[in-house]
Amino acid sequence: MADLAITRELDAPLVVGEPSYSDVTESVSRIVENKMPRAWYIAFGVTATLTGVLLAMLAYLVTTGIGVWGNNQPVGWAFEITDFVFWIGIGHAGTLISAILLLLRQRWRTSINRFAEAMTLFAVACAAIFPAVHVGRPWRAYWLFPVPNEYLGIWQNFRSPLMWDVFAVSTYATVSALFWYTGLIPDLATLRNRAKTKARRIIFGILSLGWRGSARHWRHYEMAYLLLAGLSTPLVLSVHTIVSFDFAVSLIPGWHSTIFPPYFVAGAIFSGFAMVVTLMVIARQVFHLEHLVTMKHLENMNKVMLGTGLIVGFAYLTEFFIAWYSGNPYERFTFINRALGPYWWAFWIMVSCNVLVPQLFWFKRIRTSIPAMFVISILVNVGMWFERFVIIVVSLSRDFLPSSWGHFRPTYVDILTLTGSFGLFLTLFLLFVRFLPMISMSEVKSTLPRPAAARGGER
Amino acid sequence: MSSAERTVQVLDNYEMDARLWRRGRNALALLALGGWAVLAAGYSSGSAAFYPAYLLAFVYWLTIALGALFFVMLQHLSGAAWSVTSRRVAETIALVIPLSAVLFLPIVFGLPQLYEWARPEVVAADPVLQAKQSYLNPRGFTLRAAACFLIWGLWAVILYRNSVKQDDGGTLELTRAAAKWSAPGMILLALTVSLASFDWLMSLDPHWFSTVFGIYIWSGSGLAGFAAITLVLLAFRRMGMLRASVNHEHYHDLGKWLFALTVFWAYIAFSQYMLIWYGNIPEETAWYHERTAGTWRSVAALLVFGRFFVPFAVLMPRAAKRNLAVLAGAAAWILLMQYVELFWVIMPVFRTEAGLMWIDVAAVAAVGATFALAFWWLLRRHALAPVGDLRFTKALEFTNV
Repeated sequence: MADLAITRELDAPLVVGEPSYSDVTESVSRIVENKMPRAWYIAFGVTATLTGVLLAMLAYLVTTGIGVWGNNQPVGWAFEITDFVFWIGIGHAGTLISAILLLLRQRWRTSINRFAEAMTLFAVACAAIFPAVHVGRPWRAYWLFPVPNEYLGIWQNFRSPLMWDVFAVSTYATVSALFWYTGLIPDLATLRNRAKTKARRIIFGILSLGWRGSARHWRHYEMAYLLLAGLSTPLVLSVHTIVSFDFAVSLIPGWHSTIFPPYFVAGAIFSGFAMVVTLMVIARQVFHLEHLVTMKHLENMNKVMLGTGLIVGFAYLTEFFIAWYSGNPYERFTFINRALGPYWWAFWIMVSCNVLVPQLFWFKRIRTSIPAMFVISILVNVGMWFERFVIIVVSLSRDFLPSSWGHFRPTYVDILTLTGSFGLFLTLFLLFVRFLPMISMSEVKSTLPRPAAARGGER
Repeated sequence: MSSAERTVQVLDNYEMDARLWRRGRNALALLALGGWAVLAAGYSSGSAAFYPAYLLAFVYWLTIALGALFFVMLQHLSGAAWSVTSRRVAETIALVIPLSAVLFLPIVFGLPQLYEWARPEVVAADPVLQAKQSYLNPRGFTLRAAACFLIWGLWAVILYRNSVKQDDGGTLELTRAAAKWSAPGMILLALTVSLASFDWLMSLDPHWFSTVFGIYIWSGSGLAGFAAITLVLLAFRRMGMLRASVNHEHYHDLGKWLFALTVFWAYIAFSQYMLIWYGNIPEETAWYHERTAGTWRSVAALLVFGRFFVPFAVLMPRAAKRNLAVLAGAAAWILLMQYVELFWVIMPVFRTEAGLMWIDVAAVAAVGATFALAFWWLLRRHALAPVGDLRFTKALEFTNV
């Protein structure tokens, strides 16, 4: 019997209740085949309204000008860049789970990867809005790309990280979308096979690209998936690295720091996992997926949060230490100003939410408590938003010359645009949950123990 | 009725052949003696090259041992099964760390020769160094180093002991204990390796600072540690040890790690260089300026190609990672590059031109053979693999898809 206990501990089944293949298909497919629960409609109403707020704010911004935001000299980058970095960061859990955890053979990823990858796409969509409107004349946002424009001869500055950002983010969005879609194909075919109406059969038939599940198909599919994972792995690092370059190549104390690339990447993964936990906790309860997304999955995600949160804390500590060690008065001032200056509250929100609160995850009781992880995951995202705010706004508000110091105050447009972006993100997310299988059925089936699988039929 | 019922599948002889062991010991002892003799001759001839050469050799071998400690903790934390059969070798490499506290003593005595900030007359003329004196002073330096050695040594010993206890029968408690110790251990390792990098290497140029420097040194250390584990296992294989327990599947995974860490090293090294180049602030660029002047430029180029492009290209194909001759070559090359890199980090402070001196070689041989002798001696005390580990069978069964 001791052996059994050992196996349970070391090789715990990834799903509980020994579901058969058809049980998995049933639990996931029925969500998109039946009517949504009432809660979905209420939530959709709220998020659609918020999306409307976002659109209204953007319309106001575009027709009036950047002046409707609180940005001004010396704080020329404020909420919108904070929001951009925040949303780009949220997407990183999806890429990490789909690419790196696949290469590391972390099979628990199968229950959460679809969900997280979808979040990546929606987060990138939200993020892309901000730089596009920040250019002031969004109808000329395509000038960001090296394509011929009205003023021939004007080239983009290829040495600018803002330019690299355009490439990094668009590559990221493209590869993430490909990855997500490739993973969806077998499941889309399952939905096609189960379709009861002609319209569904045609739509899912087209989307599943003629997938019949033959051995040949699977062989190609597995290879494509592995190659995409290999291609996405550098993207997990590169995107936020280049975002960090936006700041670190400058000379502003608090921005110019060589630790920025790995520190930003860790922070991005940290916030991404927090968002996955926040939404997963709700989704698994509402749609009764507790047997597929088990406590083990949630606990693992919480452990990732604890680890990446510690890396972020390590970076904060290193920055403070080196600022002091450098003996450079501007460096030293910047960090004292961060902790004790006019924005001290933002700094302490950041430290409490990102470093102190996640330490609770050292306790298994908290790691496995749904209410606790829900609250902590939200706090982490609050903290990560403030981290970007602290880096961007606080550093700009007081740089070398005291005569050019200033204080940034957000306008209602700043705040409502941020709020509205959550609306867009959640609306897209709710639509995803409504129309596509939120758990990768085919991949979860691959992790099922054999005997249980043999008992049920394959659909 | 825990472990008694489970049978460990014995494929290899997990004890080293006594004759082989004696031969190894004699060879290493001879090398150590020779190395120390030459080194002593260099020291007594008053060569200015002694202390830098010694510091380099010491840091080189220590970073390898720290890389092995990183390996051990990483495997415990992630609950990996594939690495179990290789773990004892890593544990034993890490176990030489306590010895480094003794080997560090010459550096403590040579502080004024090594570090500008330890020379009162230099500090008196330099306001920046005066401002840093509360940190950069001999007493603080020594105390911090002692704290580092204590932490590393403690964790190396604890994890080794815990693992050895499994040999007589692994239990869940022991598996859990290893993971429990590794979590704080990893945090402390990150903090102390960073601190040691700042103290021992970054403060060689006491005006210069870079926040990522600790991670930069750590990435190289991890890579070197993994390469050393791979190379030692391959050497054992040639000697007829662990042939079935660590097979192509396990080497394949070790090769993947070498590839991944090579890329990670390049990522960190490039980020640091790029940001400093781009910022172009004299107090920061000075470090690279010193290291790209004259013949040092070629060494820098060698690092770019030799430490990144060559292993990247060589280790990319699946077949290469499963070809043990290629893998051995790559691991040895990576270890050589770790030396070249540390040479390039340390020596430009002392020498205007790049070039290997006889005392450098003697120091590497002396310190290396001493560490290796300790490793060899510790190796014989227990099985060559953690045979009682609960994941041992799983590790034996492991195959790459």
